[in-house]
Formats: sequence, structure tokens, C-alpha cells
Amino acid sequence: MTDARKPQGDRLSESEAIERAKQGDAEAFQVLYDLHKRRVYSLCLRMTANTAEAEDLTQEAFLQLFRKIGTFRGESAFSTWLHRMAVNVVLMRLRKKSLPVVPLEETVETEDEAPKKELGAQDAKLAGSIDRLELQRAIEALPPGYRSIFVLHDVEGYEHNEIAGMVGCSIGNSKSQLHKARMKSKP
Amino acid sequence: MGSESMTCGEFQKILPDIMEGQRKAEHAAHLQSCSACSGLVSDLSLISQQARLLQASEEPSPRVWNQIEIALRQEGLIRQPGRDRSLVPAFSRRWSLAWLLPVAAILVIAFGVTVYKGGRSQQIASNRVAAPVAMSLAANSNDDQQLLEVVGSRTPSMRTSYADNLQNVNAYIRDAEQTVQNDPNDEEAQRSLMAAYEQKAMVYEMALDRSLP
Repeated sequence: MTDARKPQGDRLSESEAIERAKQGDAEAFQVLYDLHKRRVYSLCLRMTANTAEAEDLTQEAFLQLFRKIGTFRGESAFSTWLHRMAVNVVLMRLRKKSLPVVPLEETVETEDEAPKKELGAQDAKLAGSIDRLELQRAIEALPPGYRSIFVLHDVEGYEHNEIAGMVGCSIGNSKSQLHKARMKSKP
Repeated sequence: MGSESMTCGEFQKILPDIMEGQRKAEHAAHLQSCSACSGLVSDLSLISQQARLLQASEEPSPRVWNQIEIALRQEGLIRQPGRDRSLVPAFSRRWSLAWLLPVAAILVIAFGVTVYKGGRSQQIASNRVAAPVAMSLAANSNDDQQLLEVVGSRTPSMRTSYADNLQNVNAYIRDAEQTVQNDPNDEEAQRSLMAAYEQKAMVYEMALDRSLP
């Protein structure tokens, strides 16, 4: 193929796939799914820490996207649109399950939370590297509210003002909860 | 005094802001003089950097796309292109797999229509339903196996997914058939049975589309 936007042989480029998906082309839907499935599924998995639920949410996010694809006009990047939709789907599910999307405010910093152990020598476990599996487990072990903020900021790269808008908290709260989530993620 | 350096407690109190990049000279001075706090900052930075590597790190199972595709077809969002709807050329391309165009799918839909219409006229007796149900299940079992063999030979990674789908839809059909048998005049049950048959036909159609060169 001479078209530079077709890096994978005869596969459609994203923009071609979007236009063809609007016409109901089955292959186009699959191309779009293949391009974005890992990012969406990983987001859902990190946010829920549950494989079955993550698959269900991935399905729901893509279906919502495909139902609305006719309205996509390309003002924003398609991936931005999709990922925002996926985040909304996940947050909605967490709310339905009555899991705290926003971490509970802790008005009084307890002694337990004071980073006492950091006052000692540098943590040898983290010096230079951190095991990915260990980090994954640490994220899974976070309370849902902390996990949401951590995943949205540190994994997905959203800014605090965006997170505040999405989860319905203040920017300051988002910053403070992110810090606590990072502290809890330390081995 | 202004020249007094900050304590670890003071530093860690404002650490969230420091991690956000709001670093002043006094913070830098404390980091230079305190290995514990500088270690903490580098640990938290490392966690943050490593977390980014988790983005798009997981692959969903093929089952997810299968479910999406079924839903898209059920909702009519996937439309068959005109060229593929032309029966003659389509048949000539598909001849090698034509036997797969499942007799079962046609049978189940025809059977479903029969049951549905019969139910509407309030005339179906339970023994009229039981016999074709048994026949359709027996026939479908063989067709399912043949379908899975073809899917497995063309796209091995999808075989398990299709097997799961067939298992689910067969269970759906069995439940619906049982309900119709219990009350042949239950229109809601007949509609469920029709939907189950249509879903199975769709699984066959998807497999056939996917198996084409």
C-alpha cells in the first residue's frame, strides 16, 4: 500500500474505519476495536481490579461508542473521545455499585498515615526499580476511590482538573488523594 | 531564622504540591540535605513513572469482541454491504463453505416461526412442540461441531470463543424451549425462543463471514 496511513497491509486507517463504521461496515468496527481495545480494557481492569467486570465494561464502552459513532465529527481525537467514554462507563458502574469514586475525605491526618518509615533509610525495594506485578497488585489493593484517582492520573495521564470534573471532587482533593494512593502503593 | 532549613515533617506535609512540580529553593535545599526525604521523593516519582507503563498493557479475551459483534448485528449497526448481499456471487465465493450455511440456522428459525405462529393461534399442544425440539437439538449438535471445526481451521484463536457462544446460545434455546413446552400458549416464552434462535443463526452467520478468505 502506498497510503502511509495503512501501516498494516490492507487494514483500514483509523479515519477510514471511522467513516466506514458510520456506514455499518463490520470490518471497520473491528479495526477500531483492535486499535483501542488494549487501552480501554486495561483502564477498565485497573479501575475495577476484576477481569470479568473489566470485559463487561469494555464491551459496554465500545458499544456506546459505536452507537454514537455517527455523531463523531472529528473535532477531538477519536481516541480521546473513546477513552473519556470508557472512563464515564467505569465511573458510572462504580457509582451504581455504591463504591466510592471519590475517596472519603480524611479531615484529620492520623498518625498511621504519617510517612514515618520514610524518615529512615531509603527504601531498598524501590531503589532503581519497581516490579510491575508488584505495582499492579498494589493498585488492586487500593481502596476503590484512591484507585480511581491513581489510575486516571498516573496510568492514564489525566490532569487533576479533568479528574476533578470526571469524578466530582475538588482539584485539591484529587491531588491529595493521589498522593495518598502513591504512598499506599509503596511496597 | 530565614536561613533555617525545613524539617522532614514540614517537607512531607507539602509533598503533594512538591510532587506536582511546585518546588522552591528551600525544598531543594532540604532534599539535598535529607536522604530520607529525597529517597521518598524518588520512590514516589518512580511509582508514578512505572504506573504509566501499565497503560494499554492488557489484552481482552476474544470473547469481548464476539459479544460486541453480536450486539452490533442484533442492533442493526452492522449492515451487510450490497456486494456481499448479492446471492449468486456470494454463493460462488462461498461454495466451499456453503454446507456450513447452517441447515440448523434455517431449521431453527423456521421452527421458531412455526412455534410462534402456532402459539398465537392458541392451538399448540405440548407434544407437538417436544418432537421438533428434540430433532432440532440433535441436528444442531452436529452442525455446531462442524462449524467449530471450520472456525478452528481458519482462525484457531476464535474457536474457544465460538464454542462458548454456542454453548451459551444453546443453553438459552434449551431454557426457552422448556418454557414453551411447559406453556405452549405463552407468547412471551415464544418470543424468547425466537430471539434465541435468531441469536444462534447470527453466530453461524458471523462464523461464516469470518471464515471467508
